[in-house]
Amino acid sequence: MLEFFYNTLSPWQWGLLALVPPAILALYFLKLKRQPLEVPSTYLWKRSIEDMHVNSLWQRLRQNLLLFLQLLLVALAMLALLRPGWESSKLDGQRFIFLVDNSESMSSTDIDGAKNRLEEAKKLVGGLIDQMDSGMTAMLVSFADTPQVVQEFTNNRRLLRERLETIEPTVRGTDLKGALELADGLANPSRMPIQEGDKEIDVVEAQPATVYIFSDGRFENVKGFSLGNLKPYYIPLGSLEAKNLAITAFTTRRGDAHPERRQAFVQVANFTEAAHKATVELQLDGSFLDAKEVDVPANESAGVVFALADAPPGKLMAKLKYELDTPTKHDVLEQDDIGYAALNDQKPGRVLVVTPGNVALEVALATERAHKLGNIEFQKPDVLTGDTYKRDAESGAYSLIVYDQCAPASAPRSNTLYIGRVPPGRAWRGGDKADAKEDSKSKSEVGKAAADEALPKTSGPQIVDWDRSHPILASVELGNVEIADSIVLQPPPGATVLIDSTAGPIAAVAPRDSYQDAVLGFEIFGQGVDGARTANTNWPRMLSFPTFCLNTLEYLAGGTEDSQLASTRPGQPVELRTTGKVSELTVVDPSKKEHAVRRTAQDVFQFQNTSEVGVYDVKRGDQVVERFAVNLFDRQESDVRVRPTQGGEASTIQPADIKIGNIEVQATLGQTPSRFEAWKIVLGCALFVLILEWYIYNRRVYL
Amino acid sequence: MPVTESNLLPPDLMAQLERLELVTRKVFRGRMKGERRSKRKGQSVEFADFRSYVPGDDLRSLDWNLYARLDKLIIKLFLEEEDLHFFTLIDSSLSMGFGTPTKLEYAKQLAAALGFVGLIRTDRVRIETLGQLSNQHGPVLRGRKSVWRMLEYLNSIEAGETTSLATGVKNFCLRNAGKGIVVLISDLMDKAGYESALRFLVSQRVDVYVIQVLSQEEIDPDVKGDLKLVDVEDQDIAEITVSAPLLARYKSTLNAFVGGAQEFCNRRGMNYLLANNQTPVKDLIGSYLRRRGLVR
Repeated sequence: MLEFFYNTLSPWQWGLLALVPPAILALYFLKLKRQPLEVPSTYLWKRSIEDMHVNSLWQRLRQNLLLFLQLLLVALAMLALLRPGWESSKLDGQRFIFLVDNSESMSSTDIDGAKNRLEEAKKLVGGLIDQMDSGMTAMLVSFADTPQVVQEFTNNRRLLRERLETIEPTVRGTDLKGALELADGLANPSRMPIQEGDKEIDVVEAQPATVYIFSDGRFENVKGFSLGNLKPYYIPLGSLEAKNLAITAFTTRRGDAHPERRQAFVQVANFTEAAHKATVELQLDGSFLDAKEVDVPANESAGVVFALADAPPGKLMAKLKYELDTPTKHDVLEQDDIGYAALNDQKPGRVLVVTPGNVALEVALATERAHKLGNIEFQKPDVLTGDTYKRDAESGAYSLIVYDQCAPASAPRSNTLYIGRVPPGRAWRGGDKADAKEDSKSKSEVGKAAADEALPKTSGPQIVDWDRSHPILASVELGNVEIADSIVLQPPPGATVLIDSTAGPIAAVAPRDSYQDAVLGFEIFGQGVDGARTANTNWPRMLSFPTFCLNTLEYLAGGTEDSQLASTRPGQPVELRTTGKVSELTVVDPSKKEHAVRRTAQDVFQFQNTSEVGVYDVKRGDQVVERFAVNLFDRQESDVRVRPTQGGEASTIQPADIKIGNIEVQATLGQTPSRFEAWKIVLGCALFVLILEWYIYNRRVYL
Repeated sequence: MPVTESNLLPPDLMAQLERLELVTRKVFRGRMKGERRSKRKGQSVEFADFRSYVPGDDLRSLDWNLYARLDKLIIKLFLEEEDLHFFTLIDSSLSMGFGTPTKLEYAKQLAAALGFVGLIRTDRVRIETLGQLSNQHGPVLRGRKSVWRMLEYLNSIEAGETTSLATGVKNFCLRNAGKGIVVLISDLMDKAGYESALRFLVSQRVDVYVIQVLSQEEIDPDVKGDLKLVDVEDQDIAEITVSAPLLARYKSTLNAFVGGAQEFCNRRGMNYLLANNQTPVKDLIGSYLRRRGLVR
């Protein structure tokens, strides 16, 4: 019986309410005020009443119809206050934390009677909220890849319900641990561990709380988290055999044979138990470009390559079309049937080579392939003092500047390759050890800076090792290379040493803001002590030198652009690069909303609002200078089948339990405490009675 | 609203009434020569009978032709033409002051119309109310010139008399012993009953017409809720809670009452007519009373 009714009022409130029916009765029988009405004669009325008195009890009932309706109304109101309901089980505990998964997979439409899994979760949470007593408090947390507190601890059920409705599906991955940590922290905010020797003592004893996790279980077991006083319940949502096809990758890249021609690569994953045939349709700015059919075996993925040829820059969209054997012909998650990619202007990078004269370099960069990768200009070192160079270097007009036997006063806004010199600034000069004077000197001097004298040098270093995995040294064989003189490099933190010699690193590459600085410690051609130009190394005579030059060009002057911005996950920041000196860029998101982006302190443009999937336009003024795509492409999220138990009997296949820390949390499928509330119906009846009473009173409907 | 003469007897009604005359099923003796055939033999152009001359008869009525033929004195008798005594008895109790128009006003209109018919046919018209004492006579009216006197008298009648129906009728009978037509206009709502009152009239051997005037509010009451009904005449109180059965019961009681009155009258050779105050007087006289034979 306790489950059938929930008390909502305190005893004194009930007392007040109990006074209402006697009051109505009293008003009816004690203070019944009959309206006096003069009539010509009561003769006929009296005779009529006399007749009526024969069956007076029933007459009395009929006369008091309005009274009974009023009493019924009050009775219904009281019943509604008792909150009748059924199919319920009592909530366990006093404090609750409802963790609602709103990652992409929760948008799956495999739940009968609900729009998607998230709606079902909200319904279940709503049922739990309705069951809360006045002393209970609850907190709402939604989580995808980051947890978000929807509502702090409160006992206001209406507020909880309102806030519950604000949970929206996202296109993010799932991270339960973050949510649990947040819930734990908020459940016991004043828990301060004090270390005493080896023991940890909690100053305030943690209060127990019950955690309800509403999720489809598309996450790894949570490691390194102790539940402590949190008592978890895991309510898996979704079906075990939900069918889904998804695009799990979509990139554009340069063709292997023809680097000027681009290709689009789409990976389609099949998360069903049967092979399916799907058509991938490629659209550019909304118009059809190409379509290809792909056979995807069960539980596997297949790729399909589209030749983009000389497609203009724009927004690429890959759409998956298929027919499943489900009633709707669609899979349960349609969000991942679409992938986005940005097709940017294929601008060959401008490459500036500043050299007093270097035959080997000139020859190596004169190949057809090198010219396809960039427009290569050769300049003498005296150009470095010119205004044209300064302006172009500041505005980032070049994608790569090669400084051969010379160094600029300050680092340009572009990727650089230094040959026989180190970049200006302290970073490459042993960091803090170098003092500011050197820095100022190096600014004033061009060419062979005096600072370089301070750098440790070595004669005849033997190459010990080189980083074959680095793209710059891909297919570069340095076995027989001999070097006369070299600077021993002191690469800044985060740098990758490319070539190691007996004396130390002699080639390295390091990031600088959003650029890369590659440094060769040794010159190809140098000036001897007598000032005559001599060869410093035999490397140019090897096959590996032009390969190295081409690699450098490919790595630093372009070609990486597409893959770098291939796909950003929702929520991740994007670093925008621009040529020219502008203080503000505008980013137009897929829903056509404009965001202004300013340079950060590190002098880069960083865009944070990547919550939507789609292609974002980066605008400078009115001109679209760049595009980038945001996609989830998460196999975990696209595999929407609820994880089944491993090794269980085939007949009783069940959703897997989840593991938090060392504790197995049982999946409580179908036992979710939920309650059918009848008070709304009762209140509706009361309203109907009220209307009926009004009608009878005003319309003179007599029984 | 003050009752004006034109209200009581509008010109168009007057025009309609000009063509009518009062009818009585019984032939009564009037006191004065009128426009009506009488049972009495008298002076008129219409031949009735012969009889032998007895001394004292008017020689002018001897049939000289018969005397020449038979040598006997025979007197020719002619039918006498005489007037009709037409009484209208109006109930002017407080209960008659209800309705729109009030039942009393309606009764006055009816009395005026019938009186007018009588006056233009040179009948003797006398209008009285129930409240008059036994020695208090109403004016006797005769001839078209008396129409305005009649209307003036009718206007002076106001609701408020407290005499019971039986007493009023008894006083009337005492006052007016003569024969003629009596039209009683009343609502018959007397707690003591209307039967004794009507019996007085029966004993008068007059031609009696009973017109029961009821207001629309009495025939189809428009009431709701819990009410305390106060009788305007004796301040009697009836508490009712209006409900569909009560209204149905009221209507059946009313029907029984009206039906009872009608049957009572019919059995005793009286004419009964129920008049709703919403029926125009013109229609009532033009159709109902004509059908009943009061007017022709």
